[in-house]
Amino acid sequence: MLNIQNLTVSVDDKTILKGLNLNVPAGEVHAIMGPNGAGKSTLGYTLAGRPNYEVTQGVVDFNGEDLLDKEVHERAAAGLYLSFQYPLEIPGVPAMTFIRTALNAQRKVRGEEEMSAPEFLKTIREVAKTLKIDMDMLKRPLNVGFSGGEKKRMEVLQMALLQPKFLILDETDSGLDIDALKVVSDGVNALRAPDRGMLVITHYQRLLDHIKPDRIHILVDGRIVHSGGPELALELEAHGYDRYVNEAA
Amino acid sequence: MAFDLTPLDLFDPSSYPTRRHEEWKYSDLSRALRDAPARADLTHMQAEAGDFGGFYWHCAGDGQLADLQAAVSRAVQSSDGRLYLDMSDIGGEGTIAGYQGEGRITLAAGEHLILLEDYSGALDYAASTVLHFDLAEGATLIRVVILDEPESAVSVRRSTVTTAPGSVFKQYVFATGAKFQRFETHVEHAGHGAQVEMHGAYLLKDTAHFDYTTRVNHAEVDGATQQLIKGLVKDRATAVFQGRIYVEKGADGTDARMRHQALMLNDGAHVRAKPELEIYADDVQCAHGNTIGALDESALFFCQSRGMPEEVARALLMQAFVVPVAEQIEDEALREMVLNWIADKTEGFYAL
Repeated sequence: MLNIQNLTVSVDDKTILKGLNLNVPAGEVHAIMGPNGAGKSTLGYTLAGRPNYEVTQGVVDFNGEDLLDKEVHERAAAGLYLSFQYPLEIPGVPAMTFIRTALNAQRKVRGEEEMSAPEFLKTIREVAKTLKIDMDMLKRPLNVGFSGGEKKRMEVLQMALLQPKFLILDETDSGLDIDALKVVSDGVNALRAPDRGMLVITHYQRLLDHIKPDRIHILVDGRIVHSGGPELALELEAHGYDRYVNEAA
Repeated sequence: MAFDLTPLDLFDPSSYPTRRHEEWKYSDLSRALRDAPARADLTHMQAEAGDFGGFYWHCAGDGQLADLQAAVSRAVQSSDGRLYLDMSDIGGEGTIAGYQGEGRITLAAGEHLILLEDYSGALDYAASTVLHFDLAEGATLIRVVILDEPESAVSVRRSTVTTAPGSVFKQYVFATGAKFQRFETHVEHAGHGAQVEMHGAYLLKDTAHFDYTTRVNHAEVDGATQQLIKGLVKDRATAVFQGRIYVEKGADGTDARMRHQALMLNDGAHVRAKPELEIYADDVQCAHGNTIGALDESALFFCQSRGMPEEVARALLMQAFVVPVAEQIEDEALREMVLNWIADKTEGFYAL
């Protein structure tokens, strides 16, 4: 589904990713763990196509297509969804308007018909209910004045409505208390499907108690230095990243 | 108190203010209009209204806008206090038609008027109009102004407002600029506890010039002034905001707040902002803020990453920047009308 080979990325002339290889097949959830500054967020932003993230080497194949050749919005339409560590506040744009604009823009690129307002309203109402999101909140400008938990729930709401094929969750657990973490994780788990892949970027093992990964990769200094099963998270929690950092150095 | 309006006779070029006049430093009328325009044939007519409800009054600037008060009185008494004032001037082709006029609107104690002023003229013209508003005790005037003039227009729209105890004056100005467009409002806070709001939004492109000048004098205690002006400027357009709030000695309890926020969408666009507070009273709350920046690139990427093409994302964010001004309009029909107008005008904005 997502196949990354030798990905090398510079930001402001500083090389952050240094020949990263990663393969996430459909139906699997992979986690990327690593110390601060290893390049975890850079990987997410690069895949989503953020400007100034310059790919100097490497190939990213997404469902048989060259992902890096696509514009940012085309990657979204192709089914890639990056959930931001800090979702942005969009003053003046009601959450509902934002999501509907995004959804219909994606449909247009895919040559599908736009979703009508009543159909959209019906769909968003159902999803909002399962995520315990009040409809009044959806009339407010997106994320403006929302708590950390509300912002993350809004991210999950968008995932559920946009139905992407591949999810990248960048530090989704940051800013969440235990209750919010459960609601958000349940929302993500509900999206697990045989035809959908996920990449969970996280610092801590905590999130992986809720979203159980099939594989865990350790990212140090721009490269995957070790991969293993879910048990790897527990080992990291007990011993830290030191061993891998020293090996990489 | 006499208002300090720069003398101006459209038909006498020697009266045109130049850059040497401090008040006109950023908006040089003598450069925009070198010769006197030809006096236009004057028309005014009255008809029942369309979408907005209320009464409809067309008046091209025509000397003394004498019958204006009669239209206002009818509106106040018999149509939910709504009056649609069509101030559209129709110019000439090749020749510049000149419109000049002055009118007065008085609201008696407790009267309530919602005024929609529509300046959407056509062809080549120069216009200078002055409207005087006198509000008696407890009177309310809501003024929504649409300045949607042709790009060749030279337009100077000035007004004076005198408040009284307990009166309310709210002004919302929406402008797309012109060859020269200046909207100037002078407010005399002459009443205890009078409440004044003067907001505005501008959407300027190509070589449009728009100047929003406001002068507020707090002469009495407990007066409140609120201002939020937001705008978008692209291409080689120029926005000017000159806001002055003057608080006289003894005008204690004054609460005055002024905010101006502009987005410059490319190099070559100009924003000249001059917010001023001059305070001679002791017990007041006054604040002004002025920010000029570019579109938030992170927000833009966030929108794109959710599937919006760049031009859609830009349009959404630009529209979002100015709509808070329109959202303050309490009258629902008017608010919707203005929001639609903004959506329509921002549509052509995103291509850089």
